[in-house]
Amino acid sequence: MITMTLPAEIRYVRLASLTAAKVAEIFSASFTAADNADGFCHAFELSVSEAFTNAVRYAVSSDQENMVTINFKGDRNRLTVSVSDSNPPFDPEFPSPDINSYPESGFGLLLIRRLMDTVTYTREDGRNLISMTKQPDNQRFGNL
Amino acid sequence: MIIIEKICHNITVVALQGTLDSCSSSQLHYYSSPSVTEVPLVIDLSNLDFLDSSGLGALVEIARKKREKGSDVKLACMNDKVRKVFEITQAYRLFDIYDDVEAAAVNAGNKKNSL
Repeated sequence: MITMTLPAEIRYVRLASLTAAKVAEIFSASFTAADNADGFCHAFELSVSEAFTNAVRYAVSSDQENMVTINFKGDRNRLTVSVSDSNPPFDPEFPSPDINSYPESGFGLLLIRRLMDTVTYTREDGRNLISMTKQPDNQRFGNL
Repeated sequence: MIIIEKICHNITVVALQGTLDSCSSSQLHYYSSPSVTEVPLVIDLSNLDFLDSSGLGALVEIARKKREKGSDVKLACMNDKVRKVFEITQAYRLFDIYDDVEAAAVNAGNKKNSL
């Protein structure tokens, strides 16, 4: 398990997403059959960027510093990244906006759901926890 | 993100280099500001390494503002990582997307779309 905790500030979003891409790259290198490694790494890079951005965007100002925790866990054939924050609960089934209305936001959860094999949302100890899992050899939206 | 401006066929071409995400998307606000919304624009994505939904939102805002004024923005040279974001969100419906900057600039000069 690898854990990274960062302040809920937008300037850290690239650190989070690049770390996710690198962890995914190293993890996928263990799979000789993973011919879609670029897609696998991009899925984690983009999903963590979206989850971290949401954590920052909905952070509640308070005297106590808001922190975002990112956990990476690899098992035999899949990698899971979890992003947690202390923000108010949100609706994980939030519908995506209609692209024809020229929306400027609202696509983050759609991208995560489409890029990852499994996405779960839970509320634990007053924190939001979104867990995203993918197998290196799963071709679902993984090819670049 | 680095932004480089050039002129091609009398059209302003904005080349984006690096990452367009929630941290850098505000760098594009100028291109949707009232002073430039009537001017057609080409955005060269050939050196854009990463795009997320916040960056996409900035591009969508530019398209909306320009079309409200009868102008347009064209996109050129999208790589596979960027293209995937456009495919999943179906944002390709909102843009004319070209494989090279010159074709985008020629069409930006010839054609104006409106909302």
